Amino acid sequence: MITRRVRYEIVSRAVGPMLMAMERWGSRLGGRRGGAAKGPFGPPLESTRKLKELTTLHYLSGRCADGAVPVAWVTSGFPVEVLRPLGFHTVYPENHGAICSVKRMVPELSEAAEREGYSRDLCGYARADLGSVATGKTPVGRLPRPDLLCCCTNICQTVLYWYRALAAHFRVPLAIIDTPFVYGEAQPHLLTYVADQLRELTRAAERVAGRKVDRAALAETMRLAREGTRLWDECLRAGIARPSPWTGFDSFFHLAPIVAMRGTRECNAYYRMLRDELNDRVARGVGGIADERVRLLWDNLPIWFNLRDLSTVLAANGFNIVCATYTNAWAEAGSMIDPADPEGSAARAYLHVLLNRDLPYKLSIMKRLCREYGATGAIFHSDRSCKPYSIGQIDLKGRLASEEGVKGVLLEADHADPRAWSEAQAYNRLHAFMELFEDADDPAGTGNPDIPRG
Amino acid sequence: MRNATISARKRLGYKTVVVLPVHYPRELFTAMDVHTVELWGPPGPPRGPGAGRIQPYACAIVRNALAFLASGGADAADAVLFPHTCDSIQGLATLAPDFGGWGKPALRYLHPKGEDGPAARAFVRAELEHLAGDLARLTGRSLETARLSEAIDLHARIDRLRGELLSRRAFLDMTDLELYRLLRRGEFLEPGDHLAELAVAARGLGGERVRRGVPLMVTGYVPEPMTLLDSLASAGAFIAADDYAAVGRRVPLSLPAGDGDPLDTLAAKAFTMPPCPTRGGDQDVRMAYLEALYRRSGAAGIVVHVQKFCEPELFDVPAIRTRFARIGAPLLYLEGELETSLSGQLITRLEAFLELVDSGRGTP
Repeated sequence: MITRRVRYEIVSRAVGPMLMAMERWGSRLGGRRGGAAKGPFGPPLESTRKLKELTTLHYLSGRCADGAVPVAWVTSGFPVEVLRPLGFHTVYPENHGAICSVKRMVPELSEAAEREGYSRDLCGYARADLGSVATGKTPVGRLPRPDLLCCCTNICQTVLYWYRALAAHFRVPLAIIDTPFVYGEAQPHLLTYVADQLRELTRAAERVAGRKVDRAALAETMRLAREGTRLWDECLRAGIARPSPWTGFDSFFHLAPIVAMRGTRECNAYYRMLRDELNDRVARGVGGIADERVRLLWDNLPIWFNLRDLSTVLAANGFNIVCATYTNAWAEAGSMIDPADPEGSAARAYLHVLLNRDLPYKLSIMKRLCREYGATGAIFHSDRSCKPYSIGQIDLKGRLASEEGVKGVLLEADHADPRAWSEAQAYNRLHAFMELFEDADDPAGTGNPDIPRG
Repeated sequence: MRNATISARKRLGYKTVVVLPVHYPRELFTAMDVHTVELWGPPGPPRGPGAGRIQPYACAIVRNALAFLASGGADAADAVLFPHTCDSIQGLATLAPDFGGWGKPALRYLHPKGEDGPAARAFVRAELEHLAGDLARLTGRSLETARLSEAIDLHARIDRLRGELLSRRAFLDMTDLELYRLLRRGEFLEPGDHLAELAVAARGLGGERVRRGVPLMVTGYVPEPMTLLDSLASAGAFIAADDYAAVGRRVPLSLPAGDGDPLDTLAAKAFTMPPCPTRGGDQDVRMAYLEALYRRSGAAGIVVHVQKFCEPELFDVPAIRTRFARIGAPLLYLEGELETSLSGQLITRLEAFLELVDSGRGTP
């Protein structure tokens, strides 16, 4: 145990950072510094290198985390703040699924899961994760074995079924935070229920970690989480500028720390750096794409395996994703966190996430984003892998058009699995959608010249 | 028949609530003289203006339900109850009332997910109170403790008889189709009428095994299409053990003591039900339950009959396969989309499976 702990600390604090420094040094020698615009895009973000370092270091230290520190596998919407003061190394299978998708490993991993009997109709993240568990294959080297599985139903109930299967496989405790769906505002008994579960979670996590939660450390983690959420919001809001200093596709990648490192100093330091860089680009008029003509909203998860092609097609035509319901979701509920009342405020915050709320709320968020960011069109990723996010999109698209004059297109895909992607069909729809904005009488693309756009 | 029952109850002045699958506290509705009619689809392709409003990769239960509600199929009812069974029904619970398809009151029942524990128990109790308040607004009268106790007692008798008919299936001289029609009439009949029907059927339970053929266990969501039961019978099989969410999983394993506050009794009942993936809970516990059910029934094979895109059911399929392979039980996987009849292809697979099972039992 002690040897493993020492190895974990050495990798986390010395080996990892040293490898990162060597990578930076090599990049400089090789003249691979960012700066020049490529193709239809603006100059790349300098912060991306730091993001890569953070992510690499996280997965590198994870390779030797089991047996050294308690390890928890955690869903993206889980109130992870409770685990931080107990020293857990956290692994986010959804984040890992996204990496698998970007690295084009999902078909192979999914087929392994399908051989075990999992249906191809299930969530692509779950299939990738279960396939990775079955085969040991992963693009990050190795994932540490969990001591505790932590699942919160505020993003979907899929995670509940998925983590039940993981619990049966790993034979470790499963901590569930059940967050009943919220219509309007959460009723008091829902808040009580979630807060009670958070207290039960604390006790379960303490048993696994073998020590008690330090309440002062918990309060500090909550403060950091709230601050991190605010910083992420500031990064996103830089996109209000014209041109937007980055693209929605950039923001999908830069989302990783607020999901997987929420409540840590590293996360917040990173977002300060990113925010400052974005604001600097705004001041200098540097855009995420070279010629921003039409600004769009993105709804649902990214199509991870196809981000490069999709972003290139859009950018080449002067279309920029300037806001997304997905990235915005991580900038909202965290503001409700109160370090003075960790359980009570976390109950409120984690109940009120976008995916746990009704469609009128979702529509109101879309309208607000379109107005604030000046988006005149919307791409609805109809995600075969994510039913809770996708059900209602057909009506949302219609209402956004009729009530706000925002034109929309439904693009059917899967957030992780390229086998559910029909490129010709998708780009045909996308090009038809982009043609809607070529009307010279309606340059703002409202679909209605009487509706002024911001 | 559902419409006829609704009309008859309305003539008596009862309010009617249409209920989406699966789990809900029916006793509460009975106690407040509210007639419940369950909506499992209905089977067949979705029709009408709401048919295309949910993507085809969501399950047929919700796509059909939206189309049915939006086309006025449930207009005779006074409200719809959406239990929070899964993401898709949860989505429907906001889509239909908020964006069109259902303009009358929408009630929700949020049952807890995961393990039994103090927080979950307190939440069920609070949800029951909340739902009672909704029903009071609908009916104009409040919940009476004595009426709730009577309703709990009535449904306990129904549950006992349903459990007996299912567990002693081999001793009952009814075809599967007759039995399942009887059990599924409980989805819309007035509870007293349903109890009377069950009691008549239970009198047919003898001491001798009367069912011949290959005994099977079935697990899945809902026995649709019902022609599956005919196909099983034609191929020489019968259902000896049931784990359908719509049928067997709604018969409590034990009945809680009813000597305290009836709302507490009703809340406790939620934790006495067979394992169901829609409520979460430990997967190993469910597998142990399924194996015990299989062994107890003397079944010679298992049919896993799921609705396409139904995540709660689909996620458990590998564990079921593994568990039953370990004990050497033949398994047939059938996937449907709430069709009105079983396809020829599925019938052929069913027949081939039964030949395999039968040959394994050493019968000619």
